[in-house]
Amino acid sequence: MSSPTGVEINIFCITLILFFWVFYGFRNIWSLPLRHGDSFFLGVEVSPGFYEGPGIPWLKSYRAMVIALHLVWAVALVAIVVLRRWDWTPLWAGGGSLLFMVPLLAFFAWTRLKLGANPPVRAVALALKSRRLGDYISWPMESLIAAMVVFSWWLLLHHGGTHIAWRDPLFMTWWVLGYLPGKIVTVHSGSPLPVERTEEHYQYQDAARRYAIRVYNGMAWFLAAVLFGYALLHTWSPAKTIPLWQWLIVGVTMALWGNYMIYIVRGQRQLTKMGRDLCPSGSWATPFRRAAWADSALINPVMRSRPGQIWFTIWFGGLLVFIFYSLR
Amino acid sequence: MFLSLDANDKRPIYQQIADGIKALIARGELREGMVLPSVRQVSGDLGVNLNTIAVAYRQLQDEGFVTVRHGAGATVSSRRGHQPEKKEALLKSLRTALTDWILAGFDDREIAAAVQQELALLQQKGNSR
Repeated sequence: MSSPTGVEINIFCITLILFFWVFYGFRNIWSLPLRHGDSFFLGVEVSPGFYEGPGIPWLKSYRAMVIALHLVWAVALVAIVVLRRWDWTPLWAGGGSLLFMVPLLAFFAWTRLKLGANPPVRAVALALKSRRLGDYISWPMESLIAAMVVFSWWLLLHHGGTHIAWRDPLFMTWWVLGYLPGKIVTVHSGSPLPVERTEEHYQYQDAARRYAIRVYNGMAWFLAAVLFGYALLHTWSPAKTIPLWQWLIVGVTMALWGNYMIYIVRGQRQLTKMGRDLCPSGSWATPFRRAAWADSALINPVMRSRPGQIWFTIWFGGLLVFIFYSLR
Repeated sequence: MFLSLDANDKRPIYQQIADGIKALIARGELREGMVLPSVRQVSGDLGVNLNTIAVAYRQLQDEGFVTVRHGAGATVSSRRGHQPEKKEALLKSLRTALTDWILAGFDDREIAAAVQQELALLQQKGNSR
């Protein structure tokens, strides 16, 4: 058995991402406009018959944009394969999320501006249930992740030698530890509830909150395992020399990546089912608050609160700085 | 358990919240020892200023319906208590409400029926807990 090479790992990652995208991601993004039924377009309330008349060009434009984005992404993948630049894989995967995120957010904003500039103001219900951090965040699990990070750093600092590219573990540490404040903000973030079918809307919001935290957890576990694996591969003799150990480390991290994808698929399915005929949070305003600029099915609810925006700006900005320096 | 806040209600938001919580306590839906959401959570969920919610909670605390402890949030402290000293003030507000009903064109029988209905609703919900 030979040691896993960077090329093999990158090809495996690409296969996993493509598998996930073909069987889930594409379908999800394609059907986003109709997620809450035909009374809404991307979370904006539309008049009956919208999809037989004025909605046709809207839907066509959206889907043309989705196809165009996929074409750009596919061309980038073909370039990696043809040029054999497998080291571009992380950039392709990370850049892909930016490639989709920016135009989609712009389209949501445009839809809101043109179709839902004045959403109706409705009475609002207030849930009198206290949300405590401990009900959503598992502190033993957070401690375990933190311990993995600390132990990885201990290994690298005491046994790592001079050949470590410190930028990589720093990047992963920033990424993984940044999730905890994000989870705390997610627990504290909430959206107004309509007075009709309040309980169902409350359950939907709570499920969306738990889903977001599960996804963060999934990614945090994966990254903690990557960092730990990185530390082992650079400091521990058996991991440095015995291919079986190396494959085991790669296998565990890939399994955690697969687990993360399963979280997303299962969570999104559950949310789609729960929210099918509910009023999207971005489609109405309360007497005290403007309508959210996008429904929670389109963007993470945490992004609509001020603390959430501050957290995301600092955390994601930090990640971009790391990526920028790694490209120089 | 939910409170409805109406855009057309003339009362300020803090008053709507305080009155709504009191109604839930009167009906027995909010029982002694139950923890209310924090001021920060309520203000975030509704999208209103922290001080607005703090005023509502302070009013409830002053009236003895909740106990606010720093770090532990607000807890319902009692469902109801016998407060004879409040009788005169309550009678005044009852008179004001009855006057409004009469001026709105309702006769004695309609007003009595409405009062009975509201009382029955409070009793029913209170007993069902």
